[in-house]
Amino acid sequence: MDYLYDGTFEGLLTCIHHHYYTAKATGIYTKESYQMNLLGDFLEVETDEAKASIVYDAMEEKISHFAVRCMYKTFLSNVADKEMKILRFAVMGFRTGPKFTYMHGNDIVIAIETAVRQVGNEAERMRQFVRFSQMDGGVLYGEIEPEHDVLELLPSHFCDRFKNEPFIIRDVGRNKAIVALKGQWYITDFGEGDMPDYSTDEVGYRRLWKKYFDHIAIKERINPRCQAGHVPLKYRKHLVEFQLQTDDFERTI
Amino acid sequence: MEQIMKKLEILAESAKYDVSCSSSGVKRQNNGTIGSTTAAGICHTWAADGRCISLLKVLFTNNCAYNCEYCVNRRDNDFPRASFEPEELAKLTYEFYRRNYIEGLFISSAVEVSPDYTAERILKAIRILRYDYQFAGYIHAKIIPGVSQEILHEIGLVADRLSVNIEMPNSESLNKFAPQKKPKQIFTPMKQITNTLIERGALVGPGTMFKGQNVNVAGNLVGLQAIKGSRDLTVPIRRKRDGKDFAPAGQTTQMIIGAGGESDASILTTSENLYRTFKMKRVYYSAYVPVVKSPILPDLKSAPPLQREHRMYQADWLLRFYGFTTSELFKNKDENLDPDMDPKVAWAIKNLDRFPIEINRASYMELMRIPGVGDTSAKRILRARKLAPVGYDDLKKMGVVMKRAKYFLTCCGKYYGDRKFLPETIRNAMLGMENGLQMSMFDTHQNLLTAASQVQLFDNNWKRLEQGAALEKLSIAGVI
Ligand code: SF4
Repeated sequence: MDYLYDGTFEGLLTCIHHHYYTAKATGIYTKESYQMNLLGDFLEVETDEAKASIVYDAMEEKISHFAVRCMYKTFLSNVADKEMKILRFAVMGFRTGPKFTYMHGNDIVIAIETAVRQVGNEAERMRQFVRFSQMDGGVLYGEIEPEHDVLELLPSHFCDRFKNEPFIIRDVGRNKAIVALKGQWYITDFGEGDMPDYSTDEVGYRRLWKKYFDHIAIKERINPRCQAGHVPLKYRKHLVEFQLQTDDFERTI
Repeated sequence: MEQIMKKLEILAESAKYDVSCSSSGVKRQNNGTIGSTTAAGICHTWAADGRCISLLKVLFTNNCAYNCEYCVNRRDNDFPRASFEPEELAKLTYEFYRRNYIEGLFISSAVEVSPDYTAERILKAIRILRYDYQFAGYIHAKIIPGVSQEILHEIGLVADRLSVNIEMPNSESLNKFAPQKKPKQIFTPMKQITNTLIERGALVGPGTMFKGQNVNVAGNLVGLQAIKGSRDLTVPIRRKRDGKDFAPAGQTTQMIIGAGGESDASILTTSENLYRTFKMKRVYYSAYVPVVKSPILPDLKSAPPLQREHRMYQADWLLRFYGFTTSELFKNKDENLDPDMDPKVAWAIKNLDRFPIEINRASYMELMRIPGVGDTSAKRILRARKLAPVGYDDLKKMGVVMKRAKYFLTCCGKYYGDRKFLPETIRNAMLGMENGLQMSMFDTHQNLLTAASQVQLFDNNWKRLEQGAALEKLSIAGVI
């Protein structure tokens, strides 16, 4: 049986419940991504909080908190067929118990480890690469465009950093943002129109930073390949120091 | 803004030959209003030369009263000069930091007027940053040789990490190239920093070198105090409790590679001594970039010895994390590292009698000696083999670099190396791999012969080989 769900983690957990109590899952897809298959059976699963929390609690208890974290991070990824990877991992966990996450040679474990690593790496990159601008009214505002849905993995780091300052991190591709103040944060829809205005000294600091960035490189050691390995081209769009001219920036303000 | 722009340009330009980009090893609780320092250290971007930028690295001033031979800022060099005002620098750091451009400040300086004059201005700047701006980010302050004890102490109470640069690997070169700096002026502050850390029970030591030991004992105090101090030198020091942190990220230093005529063995011996005596967190190496004309230095056209610097870092890593000693690396009176090979591989080939190692029985330290096995994979092997014997196919999935490791290990008694277990054959197999001779071939997509002609290959004294000799080396190794 193919299951179609609404794209939420609770929805996926509900599917896992159905896998045990309704019919074995042959595939799990979001409704939008499903290619109707004339031969196979499919079921549109309605997300059910109660079923989801039964599965969640069972996993916490019988497998481990660590394993559940891994599944959740995989869920945030955009690796292909992540739903089935998570399901297989859960099934194996229920069968083998908490120790199975040490089976670093097992393909089911490797699939999850790989996804977790990709998500973790990108979240780390975003902590490095988000560039804030000082906006009018004192708020700090930054834009990111990550491949995986890592937005919610960022605020704890920045909440520790900005104790009294409000900040917003917007995922441009997914049209949502984190809004945070004094350790509290929430995720909200956020589009172009929601942006505050840049403060007047913002351009100046961007120029200073660009100047510093260009001057700190040692000419005798220029190595674009190495640089590209660390700062992939796809992320440069939102990095102040890689804008060709700060004039470009001034035009956008 | 325009004026700061000019200063930043000049003072960043002057600072860039410093190598340290690390901001690791400290977790500062954020009880200020802005800032935090994570233990991993965060690079925020990478400059065009591929180096990580995590700190705003500038000189406080480049207006130097000294005249060190190897330095751009030397008095006799005709060159634009500038100095920050303390408030200016504090504000700049703060504004960069909150935009997430940087993790903190790395402040170094030339000697304007006198060591104390300059150090006091630096102290003022970092105090404004820490206390007025409530900045809880990272500050690495370089200590100018010759600074007074009191000011050094005050700087240590504000900064996270201190470094006193040794620059020249031994006192002869120091004398020759930096005649105004005396070894004593360098070692006195180093001593003071280590001893202050011990007094506060805060010394950590390099890498895993002293793992499992309490290094904060009387016997580790450097210099006189050790003798005057307690009778039992293994007793932990009674901590000074004034609630203040002194350089919680410890101390580091830096050496220049390839300016004087020192061998790798002598440089690494100095490093090992610094690690053992002062228990510094790290020694940094900086390939000498010829910036000033001098009859006693490499000429301006010579390329910085990057590959040598790379090998030094690899060897240094072996000292700090893999339990190696310098004398092990330089067996048989070798003076220099093998230019073509990772020092760990070079060591393994010279010590083939210790291999192959059975991965299902070896201890952690033994596993760490296998080329291609690192800390993560060694720990994974230890964990996994409790459940079932680890086989050849499992190793790859655990992150072991098999094409290198297979020559040095057995799995359940079986050897998987595809060549004879002889030093020369294994060596040649290694040379064909990346990070061996391949590493020097900048662009493998090019026609191999033109690539080979641009290759930088070295003999055992770090002299660059002529094209003919380089080609011969490559062909003997079977790379071309
Ligand atoms: S004291 Fe420092 S800045 Fe001055 S010339 Fe010597 S190395 Fe250069």
